[in-house]
Amino acid sequence: MDISPASISAPVPVSTPPLAPLTRSESAITSGLRIHGEISGTSDLYIDGEAHGKIRLETSRVTIGPNGRVQADIEGREIVVQGSVKGNLKASERIRLGNSSRVRGSLLAPAVAIDEGARLRGKVETVRASESQGGSARTAEKDSESKNVRPVGVHAESE
Amino acid sequence: MSWMVKTRFSASPAAPASKPGPMSTMAASSNTRVSNGLKEFISLIGETNQGRVLDLGQVSQATITFFIERGYRVSTEDMLRSWKEYLSKEEERLRLMPLGEDGERVSQASLAEKFLESSLQYPEENFIGVITWDLFDYLDAELMPRVIERLYTLLRPGGAVLSMFHSRPPERFHRYRIVDGQSIELLSAPTLAVHARVFRNREILDTFGRFRSSKAFVGRDQLREGLFLK
Repeated sequence: MDISPASISAPVPVSTPPLAPLTRSESAITSGLRIHGEISGTSDLYIDGEAHGKIRLETSRVTIGPNGRVQADIEGREIVVQGSVKGNLKASERIRLGNSSRVRGSLLAPAVAIDEGARLRGKVETVRASESQGGSARTAEKDSESKNVRPVGVHAESE
Repeated sequence: MSWMVKTRFSASPAAPASKPGPMSTMAASSNTRVSNGLKEFISLIGETNQGRVLDLGQVSQATITFFIERGYRVSTEDMLRSWKEYLSKEEERLRLMPLGEDGERVSQASLAEKFLESSLQYPEENFIGVITWDLFDYLDAELMPRVIERLYTLLRPGGAVLSMFHSRPPERFHRYRIVDGQSIELLSAPTLAVHARVFRNREILDTFGRFRSSKAFVGRDQLREGLFLK
């Protein structure tokens, strides 16, 4: 994996995989840009600007950069947050909150990793990978009421 | 588990089955301590169907992992930080208010009421357990009883609150994480708030007066763990 030290504002524990930087295959909403509406597709997405609305990239990685400000529910294969998000996050593989992340909303994924310094206000639930794929966006609160949702573990890392 | 109604919240080192304090088996540099309060808290909430746990401290991977691996669902809300940020915003708002617009009465009570309009917003009886860590030592006097009242409504009958109280002002600000089912780690953290006051045992009992029973564990490190059962 490419590593961009600039993308990490502080040293991370050795056991913690580095946060992924922007790659060539990613689309980007860079700092200074602001988008309102629904974003969907198959490309990975890097947001370092502002996004409001809804983000549905079920097969892709969504990365919120350190300057990113998002007010939206996000669905993705993998969601990495270094900036600020107000909305529910749902990933079919994993969610990672970096050390500078600020999240207000629910996390729902087979694996959740939270770095030292991250701020989270909301629910955390883990589900089996097959159960978090497909379907329309549901909040973790709603998912938690489903019989199909069972905690199966989280990444034990950081701190 | 036999709970004595209104168990005496004693400062005696001979509190029930409690010999906490820094663990001799742990590395000296590690600020890990036995937590009999946590041990009993887990035992208590484990007696009911697995449900939701609310953590009111700074989010911790270790703590979330601990509960999720045991089948609980976790909600987390860094309440002290939220409160301090809220106060800062209110101060700024009032500072920018034009002179003469003093129609709004501001008091600690009104601030606390307004803060709780956007905090601890969960369905009633949503949680089987709440961990506040040492939150109440740092909260304003007007906010603390309101938070406890709110927590009471959020707890299921039979649910429990685990809180910690310093017997003397701590030397530094800590955050906490669960190491295992009977030990916690105190991690030094940048000071988020000034330690407000040291509660007397009677004050603690009175503030948690609606709860049907309470139990105390007193550590050699002057950290009192209180377990309050709805």
